[in-house]
Amino acid sequence: MPREASVQRGWIAPRLAAEFPELQLATLRAQCISVDSELGVSERLALLASRFNGRQAIALREAPIASAYRTFFRQIGIDPEQQRPPAEQAAVERLLSGGNPPQGRVADALLLALLETSVPVYGFDAELVTEPLGIDLSPSGALLLADSERPLWHLFAPDGSDFFAVPKSRQVLLAAVGAPGVPGLALDEALWLAQSALSGS
Amino acid sequence: MAALLIDQEVGVATLDERAARRSLLLQVAGLETTLSRNQSEAFPDQLQLTPLPSGAARLQDLERLELLRDALVGAVVESRAALIEREERRDSAQERLGALLLDPRSNRRVRITQRELGVGGCGVWSAVPRLGPMGRLMGWWRVKLSSGCPLAT
Repeated sequence: MPREASVQRGWIAPRLAAEFPELQLATLRAQCISVDSELGVSERLALLASRFNGRQAIALREAPIASAYRTFFRQIGIDPEQQRPPAEQAAVERLLSGGNPPQGRVADALLLALLETSVPVYGFDAELVTEPLGIDLSPSGALLLADSERPLWHLFAPDGSDFFAVPKSRQVLLAAVGAPGVPGLALDEALWLAQSALSGS
Repeated sequence: MAALLIDQEVGVATLDERAARRSLLLQVAGLETTLSRNQSEAFPDQLQLTPLPSGAARLQDLERLELLRDALVGAVVESRAALIEREERRDSAQERLGALLLDPRSNRRVRITQRELGVGGCGVWSAVPRLGPMGRLMGWWRVKLSSGCPLAT
């Protein structure tokens, strides 16, 4: 009988942990049962889109969790006005597209978790990565999301990663990056939301 | 005095870079919060500020943190000035609207947009003659707020 998945805490490179003691990474395995989202998920995304306007998109930057990512972006050298933190980016995309159209089961699950919690969740193809995941530092000081063998993704890089789950991925390793100041509970909630949307449970 | 001299020497010798970094990171966080608040306050306008340094996610060295902090201080000052200027423009628009409402005939060339007043929407306040040409000839003027935004083409 398969063991029930549970949230795992990822490792943080010591130098990075010394600089940002509250930085967190949490992961959770999930089974993706099909390519398309269930009706319930699409409806929930549509509902979230319908109760959103421009003022809320601007005010989001002052909301506790979203602002923690904005501050962290600034501290690690990303200008959040040029590369918006994930929750703010999702808000802008919602305003530009006029809604949250279905984009496949994996993308919808990650978006749902982000919109509900403001915590970005990333989906890796579980068959391509080796747990545990962590946040590492390159010799030049770049922040990398890595598994136990190699770097997987330049953290927050907009161009994505070869290890990200694709619509055909069946086992997904969900990873939530918690900026300093974001409660661990919010990371757990985001992961469980994404897992439930993926597995249809 | 002797104690002070000793303290100064020890202070220079044991200057802890980690403490300096921690302090700079806190300052950056505080300044970012202030900047965000100012940008949020500017809604529905968008503050046009000088772009700040940006790159990929990396641990910043002390020098970069100092540069970032200084740039953020500049941005906060710039955003405050922009908000004050906007407030002055709004006050001026309110005064012109007050004058228009009191005496539409003398201010019949004045047009004040809702945006100038800091109110959302595309309406424009202006003086129009009552009963069309007849009102124009007789000097019967009233203030009108045009309705809504133009339709998208």
